[in-house]
Amino acid sequence: MALITFHKVAKHYGAGVTALSGLNLSIDKGELIFLAGPSGAGKSTVLKLIAAIERPTSGTVLVNGHDIGKLSAAGLPYLRRNLGLILQQQSLLSDRTVLANVILPLSVCGATRGDAEKRARAALDRVGLLDHANVLPQSLSGGEQQRVAIARAIVNRPQIILADEPTANLDRVSATRVIDALKAFHAAGVTCLISTHDEQILEQAARVIRLENGSLAEKNTIPAPTGTEEGAIP
Amino acid sequence: MIAWLRHHMAAFADAVQHIRRAKGSYCLNVLVIAVALALPFAGLTLTSNLQSVSGRIAVEPSISVFLRTETSREQALLLAPVLTKIVQQYAPAGRIAFVTREVALDALQQKTGIADTVAALGINPLPDAYLITLDALDTPTGAARVDPLVAQLSAVPGVEQVQVDSAWVKRLAAMLEVLRLLVTLLASTLALVVVVVAFNTIRLQVMTQHAEIRVARLVGATDRFIYRPFYYFGAMLGTTAGALALGAVALALQPLNQAIAQFAKLYSTQFHLTALSWQQSLLLLAASALLGLAGSALSIRRHLARSVGS
Repeated sequence: MALITFHKVAKHYGAGVTALSGLNLSIDKGELIFLAGPSGAGKSTVLKLIAAIERPTSGTVLVNGHDIGKLSAAGLPYLRRNLGLILQQQSLLSDRTVLANVILPLSVCGATRGDAEKRARAALDRVGLLDHANVLPQSLSGGEQQRVAIARAIVNRPQIILADEPTANLDRVSATRVIDALKAFHAAGVTCLISTHDEQILEQAARVIRLENGSLAEKNTIPAPTGTEEGAIP
Repeated sequence: MIAWLRHHMAAFADAVQHIRRAKGSYCLNVLVIAVALALPFAGLTLTSNLQSVSGRIAVEPSISVFLRTETSREQALLLAPVLTKIVQQYAPAGRIAFVTREVALDALQQKTGIADTVAALGINPLPDAYLITLDALDTPTGAARVDPLVAQLSAVPGVEQVQVDSAWVKRLAAMLEVLRLLVTLLASTLALVVVVVAFNTIRLQVMTQHAEIRVARLVGATDRFIYRPFYYFGAMLGTTAGALALGAVALALQPLNQAIAQFAKLYSTQFHLTALSWQQSLLLLAASALLGLAGSALSIRRHLARSVGS
């Protein structure tokens, strides 16, 4: 059964801007998917729809059985606790230490201080930043900050990791470390959806969904969802 | 239950941390609210004191019924049941006492120290009298019954003069009512000021913590999780300001009482203002906390309901 399903999804913003039009997608549990496409293709919108940061204008987005378009405000936090979000913009809190940033998703879920700290340190250890636990994020490099964001995304053991251009503005070495960290979590069974326009990363990817003008591009490396109109070429 | 408590403790700690981060602006806001609260608190202290004074005075207001000087003692005593009947129509619990002219003269000499002057007169110029003590006149309605009573007493044959200063009883009761109303209006207006200050303070906090709120929402924070520290902040703002206002009013009573004591001495009496009781103070502190909470709740609903990620 698909973990994430897009069925004829359209997303329009004001002033006639179309981000997605009639998009069909199906992503199974445990997949590692790379979303590719030029700027404005709709990659970020796909991720925002999955995280319910945006709602579809029409069509259906199902995440773990929840219809994002019909999701109540009260149900939203519980959906997001199963998601690990790594956003394009650095979303670390500058007045909190690296450790405090990673603890935040655990505090939200009501974890005890001791347990939260233990798990946050373990997450930082996994991304190789345990030594930087007590520093402020702005003292870290861009790649390190992105890895802190990854630690924060995985600390709650989410089912899905959504990463929006996690390697943007990073040098090759840092970008590789970030992608390797995400691949490691995928290997542990987490479904990962990573948007990127870095062709070097895409070359190593097993599955890529290419978007163009808010729809699937003609050439894709994964099959389209069963029973949908839009075709995808393996 | 433990998780709920943990959430509240974390929210409280968060609010305290925000206060520590912005001590200066917090103190200024507390000061503004304290000034706004001090006025109605002072008004409450004053009405509370005056109420007790008026209560003491109004408990036993009296009417003196002076009989004609030519009325004999026997005739005077015969008037007692007539006067009692009239008094009971207006004040069932009222008491009536006969004061002979001799007793009245003694009292006059003792109180005024004019024994020599009276002795020089050679006669007792005072008439026999009845002293009527009333009750339940500490309200405007009660005080209003004095006038018809006086009219009936004056109409009794043998009565020369009925002396009562019901006007001051009514005046004091009416003044207290006006004062109470003024304090209520002042308190309502200034309560609004407290709510507005708390509202604006929280609005500024929401603006400065915009990124934090956004991230918290993205990692799955519920609205309650986000709102709670602001509620605590608002309540703490109100409580601190309330405590400061109560302290300021209590301090202001010291120099005021010195002046009042000197003033009262001129009238051969004693009077001083007392601070509000601890029960009243606790009630006011709770009201201040609630006002701060109300301001923060309104602000949060206005400024966070449609913010990013909701």
